Amino acid sequence: MLMVLLILSILMFLLYNLVPANRAYTDAKTDMTAMKNQLKGKSSEEQAKIFEDLYHEYQKRYGTDTKNMAVKYLRWIGVYPNAYDQYNGLLQGNFGWSYENKKPVLETIKDPMANTIKINIFATIFGLGITIPLGIYCAIRKGKKIDQAVQVFTIVGYSLPAFIICIVFIWIFCSILGLFPPSGMKTPGSNYTGWAKFADEAKYLALPLITMTFCSLGGMTRYVRASMIDSLSLDCIRTARAKGVKEKTVIYSHAWRNALIPIVTQMVGWFLSIFGGSLMFENIFGLNGMGKLMIQSLRTADYDVIILLQMFYVAVSLIGNLVIDIVYGLVDPRVRVNK
Amino acid sequence: MKETKKRSGWLRRLFRGGSKTLVEDNPSLAVEEIVSPFKQIVRGFLERKLAVGALCVLICMFIIVFIGPLFMPRYYDSYTETTQQNIAPGLGMMSVPAELKDDIKMIDGYGSFTVGLSNAGKVYVWGNTYDPVNGVDMEQIPEAVQNSKIVAVAAGIDHAVAVDEAGHVYAWGDNKRAQYGYFTPDQEVGMDVVSMPEGLANGTETIDADHILKITCGYQITAILMDDGQLYIWGNRKAYSNMDAFVGKEGLVDIDFTLNNIVGLTEARNSVFTGKRGLYDKFKETLTGKAVGAREFLNGRKIKQIVATTKNVCGELDDGSLFFVGDAIGALDPVPAMHPGEGFVSIAAGTYHYAGITTEGRVLAWGGNTLLQTSVPEDTKGTAKLYCGAFQTYGVNDGDQLVTKWGNKGYLFGTDKYGADIFQRIIQGGRMTMTIGAVAVIISVVIGIIVGCISGYFGGKVDMLLMRVTEIFAAIPFLPFALILSALMAQMNISENQKIFLLMVILGVLTWTGMARMVRAQVLVARENEYVTAAKAMGVRESVIAFKHILPNIVSIIFVSLTLDFATCLLTESSLSYLGFGVTYPRPTWGNMLNGVNNATIIKNFWWQWVFTSIFLAITCICINIVGDALRDVMDPKSDRDK
Repeated sequence: MLMVLLILSILMFLLYNLVPANRAYTDAKTDMTAMKNQLKGKSSEEQAKIFEDLYHEYQKRYGTDTKNMAVKYLRWIGVYPNAYDQYNGLLQGNFGWSYENKKPVLETIKDPMANTIKINIFATIFGLGITIPLGIYCAIRKGKKIDQAVQVFTIVGYSLPAFIICIVFIWIFCSILGLFPPSGMKTPGSNYTGWAKFADEAKYLALPLITMTFCSLGGMTRYVRASMIDSLSLDCIRTARAKGVKEKTVIYSHAWRNALIPIVTQMVGWFLSIFGGSLMFENIFGLNGMGKLMIQSLRTADYDVIILLQMFYVAVSLIGNLVIDIVYGLVDPRVRVNK
Repeated sequence: MKETKKRSGWLRRLFRGGSKTLVEDNPSLAVEEIVSPFKQIVRGFLERKLAVGALCVLICMFIIVFIGPLFMPRYYDSYTETTQQNIAPGLGMMSVPAELKDDIKMIDGYGSFTVGLSNAGKVYVWGNTYDPVNGVDMEQIPEAVQNSKIVAVAAGIDHAVAVDEAGHVYAWGDNKRAQYGYFTPDQEVGMDVVSMPEGLANGTETIDADHILKITCGYQITAILMDDGQLYIWGNRKAYSNMDAFVGKEGLVDIDFTLNNIVGLTEARNSVFTGKRGLYDKFKETLTGKAVGAREFLNGRKIKQIVATTKNVCGELDDGSLFFVGDAIGALDPVPAMHPGEGFVSIAAGTYHYAGITTEGRVLAWGGNTLLQTSVPEDTKGTAKLYCGAFQTYGVNDGDQLVTKWGNKGYLFGTDKYGADIFQRIIQGGRMTMTIGAVAVIISVVIGIIVGCISGYFGGKVDMLLMRVTEIFAAIPFLPFALILSALMAQMNISENQKIFLLMVILGVLTWTGMARMVRAQVLVARENEYVTAAKAMGVRESVIAFKHILPNIVSIIFVSLTLDFATCLLTESSLSYLGFGVTYPRPTWGNMLNGVNNATIIKNFWWQWVFTSIFLAITCICINIVGDALRDVMDPKSDRDK
């Protein structure tokens, strides 16, 4: 797994270095303009010399004083000394510098990351809270009218692109009903504390959360239903029913436990996909999250931020895969025995 | 008797193939008819009404999207039209009200609506009259206009002007840029406008209604020209750079507006007056002909009348021939061939097109034809006068009855913020969206099949290696990575088509992992089958076994997965384009057509800009998913049919 992370990081790094951006040059130029007064009266050769020095200085600082990709990469990781003979890379805790925000990347990312995680956790809780009961309900009433209705509804749900659902929801809830503000994280200019702050935030986050939950309903409900139907047709269920076990116990204790095995793995994967998917929601609803930061950085070519965000996404998905394996073992005792 | 029959039956069964009757008589012995798996799949599929319906819709969609563009020869991607922005759906832009039809005094139009005036002095408005941004509805004609006998009307982009027989000047519509109403000199300077004369604005002054030579509106500007050469002009100076030359100008005999300039005709009738040197002073015989100086061109002839479109001006000379000044931009139809000795009697101009009546009574049209403005119908008999709206032309006979009309009826799905027809863009965009989705899916399936087959069939170290590679690709978070790649792509110096192809490759390369894993799993199962052992025993090469013996056996499952992947790729492309990466304006896709729709105002006011596109995208995706699901259920014998 670490190997995968390493390979991917090399891949990313190479990709970013394909982009023709010369920060050192632009920064040196800016410095020259700033020093205009001091430079007065100096000959053009002297000026060129000063510029050259500045340029080299910046190149050293940004680590672009070499054309060697491997060296650049190792410096970025922090296992190869930079021009000042220091080890200063990811391993030393230097995650780069955001040129747009004029502060370290880590600081830039901190707030959006907290927001994204908060939103995603809420969305997951709401999503599971609805999909699991709904899936079980449909599985028990398989083939009935209500089940068919839900089936059609869910197929529509997971076929529709998220942004269309967002647009429709904004239209319904903001334009027609006027219930929620269409975008933002808090009332502009407000400075609430305590309960008022929470209420204000809840008002702004309600619509994104509703939409995110709605978007995730389709796929998950179908999955829960399918695996519940599978486990309801197991022999042990028939035996349990034949023994006269109460129907509730049969469903929630016998069948549900069996159905849980595939669901759990699916759930983790789903949580991860929400991370990627929340990018869309953050952009539409103007939430200050990682997705929005990413798009902003892409637009302004702030590559240190992007590469770190990307590495974060990769790490999250790798950790997710690991968690799936572990959880699988926890939920399904057979897996452990086989190992 | 009975006995013999029975026995003969027994004999028949034994020797003459009579056992069939036994089977027919006794249903419990009946053998189910053997059908090939393919037939069974088709049969099972046809049993599902929903899936069949979805397939039909899908096929229709494909036909519309791939054949539809053939019927739009005039469409091009970067089409923009300032006067036709954000128009609501409707086909009523040419529907002259029934009461007006037989009693037309004049018709005028500049933007999306048209005003008409009857000889009885009643004003009618039709077309797209409501502008959600300004909240102005042109159909709400002021009481004063309705109650008095109007003698002249004119329509601008968002306002209309009317003069009654007593000489009062009325106006309605939007007046944020001094289209009407009085503005103090301070306000005038601040807004860069020229105000309507105070007296006219508040109704204390009147003009001589019997001596109005011409009343016309441009983009947020109005001009009333009297037959003694006096000119009233007011409106948005920012839109018309040479407006100052006309304020207080006297001695004009004709006036009209191009998009950015005012053009006039002085009493000398030997040049186009603009108040600016070098503007509209080179005369051409045809729209695209060689330009020469005014004196040389006219050679003593006088200009009778001038009419202006957006970029150029057409004039009629006293010998019945035409001249043009200004640029010929875009595809313009030339003036139709004239018969010898035929000249023009009168001409009129819309936003891009001209129409004229000749001495032989023929009706001709030329100029811009993007919205069918120059497609004159066959039957134009009796046309004596022509009135041009923005993109429509109305022919009226001597009895003031409407005899013919042609031009733009309206927009079925409305227009977008650039003024382009959404219906056309949906069809063109659909082709792009589907092509990208299809090619991406093919790329992903090809990679997936190759990797999956090799990995599954050979196993061991090859499998190990390939599965690690698959893992790496699977670990890439899809949307963020696709975003980054397309952002990088946007900075590369390559052509638009190459970018779109690269986008397909990116989508394909990022989505093949699922397919590879599935194929591998299927191959692992299939390679234990007897026929593989048999093939091996016969010494068939391994690669042949993998691709020729095993692959056909798992092709049905691949096909299902392909269907569902197609929907995914479609969605991904749309999402990328929606976020402004992927395919970018002006090239339409269903995703980037929704790009601008992300705030509550647009969603509410310009609902047609997202509803139709969303419906097309949604229906396509839902149908693909329904078909894919049905196929999977039908092909998988384990899945219960009674679901």
